[in-house]
Amino acid sequence: MGTQELFHIIQNSDIAIALGQAPLFFGILAQLFHISGLVLLLTSILLVNLRLLGVGFTYFSAAQLAGYTKPFVITALGFLILSGVFMLAPSAALYEPNPAFWLKLKFFAAALVIQFTLYRTVTRIENPNRWLAITTAVLSLLLWFSVGLAGRAIGFVAA
Amino acid sequence: MSASELLQTMYDSPLGTSLAESLYIYPLVEGVHLLSLAFSFGLIVLTDLRLVGVAFRQVPVSIVLQQLRPWLLGGFVITFITGILLTFAAGPELVAAPIFPLKLLLILFAGLNALWFEFKFGRTVIGWGGAEALPAGAKVAGWISLISWSLVVILGRLIPYLDSGF
Repeated sequence: MGTQELFHIIQNSDIAIALGQAPLFFGILAQLFHISGLVLLLTSILLVNLRLLGVGFTYFSAAQLAGYTKPFVITALGFLILSGVFMLAPSAALYEPNPAFWLKLKFFAAALVIQFTLYRTVTRIENPNRWLAITTAVLSLLLWFSVGLAGRAIGFVAA
Repeated sequence: MSASELLQTMYDSPLGTSLAESLYIYPLVEGVHLLSLAFSFGLIVLTDLRLVGVAFRQVPVSIVLQQLRPWLLGGFVITFITGILLTFAAGPELVAAPIFPLKLLLILFAGLNALWFEFKFGRTVIGWGGAEALPAGAKVAGWISLISWSLVVILGRLIPYLDSGF
């Protein structure tokens, strides 16, 4: 089954049709949850990464900050994924041919991989190697902010 | 000159026209406006949460302010500059509904609240140390900031829905 067919099946599913028929208010609510999730996630990531770079919130260690922000990151990912599905499902067939959508998903997958491997490892060490910390922070910041930028591009790129 | 005429003049200016018609710059400016919220809005929320006693309670307020302020202010500069650029490209439809003027009013209100906090507590904040109980005024300023900046972001997100009959 190709992605085109899969996205058509998603769009024609009962749940997607029900979501598509929901009043505009719920669509706006989904947008607000999506932007809240994005800001919550980016700010949490930013806080830890600035610390890894040694330029922000040095009162705490990166490990402490990662611990504090972990519930925010998990909550934000929940917001982003749920609201994202709400927005995507009723118009899945429109998203499928959009290159910005796929770019966003690729950045998102790469950001998650870094988040649960390199970032997780480095932020568990009290005094990580300086260059490892800098590399992790730069990679993490670039990938997560690219997810946001590619997400914004979806509305501007004609499918 | 009415707000609508001012927005039309901005839109008709070389900057407004070129931004509105650009294929890449306008989306980029909009993207940066959104992402800069992680610095401006996100970090001010953290500062406010400290003031109201919800987050980082063991950290002196002065430390939170001192260590986050440069990033927060830098974020606000980017958010405001890109916001002004987006206003240039928006045209008079922006004031067709009261959401945008309300957003501006709230920005003014939140800005005045921040100035009041600075004048009232700017010199004494170091003396608070790690005390969990802050002056009542500081807590109120934190709540006002938290609510007003959150409303600014919500109203900003509602602007595109004006044309869809919201």
